[in-house]
Amino acid sequence: MEQKIEAKTRKAPSKIDARLIGSLAPVAGLVLVVVVFSILTKGALLSASNLQALASSVITTAMCAIGAVFVFGAGYFDMSMGGSLCIAAVLGAKVMIASGSYFLGFVVILAISMVLAIIKGLLASYVNIPFFIFTIILSSIFSAVVLVIMGSETTISLASAAKAMRSFSFAEISVISVIVLALFFGFCLVMFNYTPLGVKAKNMGGNIISARQSGINTTSTTLTVFLMGGLGVALAALLLLMRTRTADASMGGTLGTDVMVALVLGGMPLSGGPRSKISAGLIGAVTITFLNSGLAIMGLTTGQIQATRGVVFIIVVLVSSLSYRGKLLPR
Amino acid sequence: MQEDKLIVETRQLCKNFGPTVALNNVSIKIYRGQITGLIGENGSGKSTITSILSGMQPPTSGEMFFKGKPHHPASMIEGAELGIGMIVQEQGTVPGISIAENIFLGEEKKFGKLFINRSAMIKEAQKALDAIGFTGVDASAPIESLNMQDRKLVEIAKTVYANPEVLVVDETTTALSQKGREIIYGIMRKMRDEDKAVIFISHDLEELMETCDTLTVLRDGVLITTLSKEEMNEDVIKRCMVGREMTGDYYRADFSEPISDEVVLRMKDVTTAFGMLMNFSMELHKGEILGIGGLSHCGMHELGKALFGEMKLLEGEVLDLRYNEPISSPKQALKRGYGYVSKDRDKEALVLTASIADNILAAGFDKIQRGPFLLPSDTKKYINGLIRDLSIKCASPKQDVQYLSGGNKQKVVFGKWVGRGCDILVLDCPTRGVDIGVKAAMYQLIDKMRREGKSIVMISEELTELIGMCDRLLVLKDGQLAGEFTHAGGMNENQIIDVMI
Repeated sequence: MEQKIEAKTRKAPSKIDARLIGSLAPVAGLVLVVVVFSILTKGALLSASNLQALASSVITTAMCAIGAVFVFGAGYFDMSMGGSLCIAAVLGAKVMIASGSYFLGFVVILAISMVLAIIKGLLASYVNIPFFIFTIILSSIFSAVVLVIMGSETTISLASAAKAMRSFSFAEISVISVIVLALFFGFCLVMFNYTPLGVKAKNMGGNIISARQSGINTTSTTLTVFLMGGLGVALAALLLLMRTRTADASMGGTLGTDVMVALVLGGMPLSGGPRSKISAGLIGAVTITFLNSGLAIMGLTTGQIQATRGVVFIIVVLVSSLSYRGKLLPR
Repeated sequence: MQEDKLIVETRQLCKNFGPTVALNNVSIKIYRGQITGLIGENGSGKSTITSILSGMQPPTSGEMFFKGKPHHPASMIEGAELGIGMIVQEQGTVPGISIAENIFLGEEKKFGKLFINRSAMIKEAQKALDAIGFTGVDASAPIESLNMQDRKLVEIAKTVYANPEVLVVDETTTALSQKGREIIYGIMRKMRDEDKAVIFISHDLEELMETCDTLTVLRDGVLITTLSKEEMNEDVIKRCMVGREMTGDYYRADFSEPISDEVVLRMKDVTTAFGMLMNFSMELHKGEILGIGGLSHCGMHELGKALFGEMKLLEGEVLDLRYNEPISSPKQALKRGYGYVSKDRDKEALVLTASIADNILAAGFDKIQRGPFLLPSDTKKYINGLIRDLSIKCASPKQDVQYLSGGNKQKVVFGKWVGRGCDILVLDCPTRGVDIGVKAAMYQLIDKMRREGKSIVMISEELTELIGMCDRLLVLKDGQLAGEFTHAGGMNENQIIDVMI
């Protein structure tokens, strides 16, 4: 009897603890990844040169993952972000070469991203098929389109532009990237938490029937969340081009899965809904980048890295589905 | 009745679902050589008794005896092994396999350990079908070759083949035509003559009186009475089913105000794409509570959705006369001041994993929006105000709604619409699964809204609350208007039931 009472009283506060643990877990995971790989790589992970390399890759993933919080949050499982980024970057690069202008290139990148976002939004709204099936198909269509655009070229280099284009030093590009990322993060934070868009997206991801019966316009919300995702992709594509000054068909190859893993590592369920949060995109992107880099430094082959990432992903999904009682996978 | 014929007995059986009491100290005796009928309104506890008996769910408290021994079946399979067979209302066949495989689902071992002797199985299945008089069908054919009613007969054959000592027939006959019904009546009589027991649940008074030897009436989870064949009389049964004392201001007290002549909403010749609302027309006046009643599947829930623009209409229209525009989507209904409380609270009205605040905000964010922004201070004020006004019991607005009781969940749903100050509310079974205290609070709230000049459509399966609350009551049957009653003209329960059935 006494034991029973003890068990009961212990149960009540554990609910609050679970909440707290739930919100701190992503940060703890990040720290754990950094510590473990620093030891395993004997400090190489945190060397100045590696951190420089990491910074740029974090920017790309974080940009896309933060935008993806809207898309996944509203219940749409989008794996085709890598393909979108690739098309936008390749076409943008072509325009930059022809015009010699970053600005014109960015206009094209933004336009392409938005058009692709609208296509996805329309498919998600009007065709009664689980959306992730489309994203798988879209991914292969996107890479086929890129190959067609590239034709015989393997890499498009901004160095061959009609007019010479300004190149940016590492310091310059880093400052620009961090500023753009910070602005985008702030913008998304406000949109998600302090405008109706977040309420709409979370309700849609949680229960689309209830969202509709609450008078939420599901079609316009769907389009809006994909546009937010598209904006993230466009900014990521621009920064990537400014830094590498080249574009090729392999750009964004692992971005689809990176974003997915990032969101889970960042602590939000892939089924979206009320537990979605913008910070998941940022924290998760940093974690997955450290993880990728740590594995690469340890001398693992691409295949081995992929396999390890898969294992980590499954573990995270398992652990988080234990605490969220299911509902981690998309509908 | 001789006590040696006693086969099933329950003593003080109780079953609670959260705060909802489904069964309240029910003591019932079932005898061999009898067909025992169970009747009562929706939610009176009929199916709860048989589902506990068959092992589908355990009781909250109380005892059960089967053939004189304590009875605690852990599952339906164990219940069936002990000799309790059950035919239910819902479809129970598995698609994609043959009729024979359906009949011997889970018992394939009978026909070989490793490889199944299909021809033997088919032969045996054919026997099972013949045994209930379902002839002219090939047991090796896929189940899809049969229509819904014949699939039901396959289920019956499966249940009867197991040779149960107690057969439960739970509202099965509504799915069957006359031929199917005859088969089921025949089986029930045959079992009775073989000195076995039959429990027959139905809404159809006539068939109960015709078939049953005794009839037990339940109301709100309480056993009201058991009638012998001689005592069975339509009026007596109906009175037992619905007659309940009305106390004080539980329902609405004041009916003195005449209904306004102003019509705010008109539904004209509507036929819905789903369900069975056919060529239905109605009008809603300003400041009235309009009740919609009927048996399940009469089309009343579809009517509610149609009023909110949430149901595809094949024909006709729902016209808002204040703005002179048709209501065709929930979004538009919301804009014109409509609110809708779905019957299926957990699946349609709430995001269970979301907080109270997020759920309420889903319908009300535009009311507190400043430019494009939702300020946390405004949100907090809005939500806290509603939690206080509706006295929602919760630790904080951030609490997930899934951990709230049924009554408090429903208050959150009400909060969505109360916060918006809706002028026209469509409430589909607003007090479903809600305990008495919260019920009374809901009735007071609905009456308050009426006094403020709002128009309310109250769809309900409970006649007493419709009579207690409504100015006017429309009774639906098979998707059409079967009768209209007004409070002024008198609402007589028996008359209303007559129209319903």
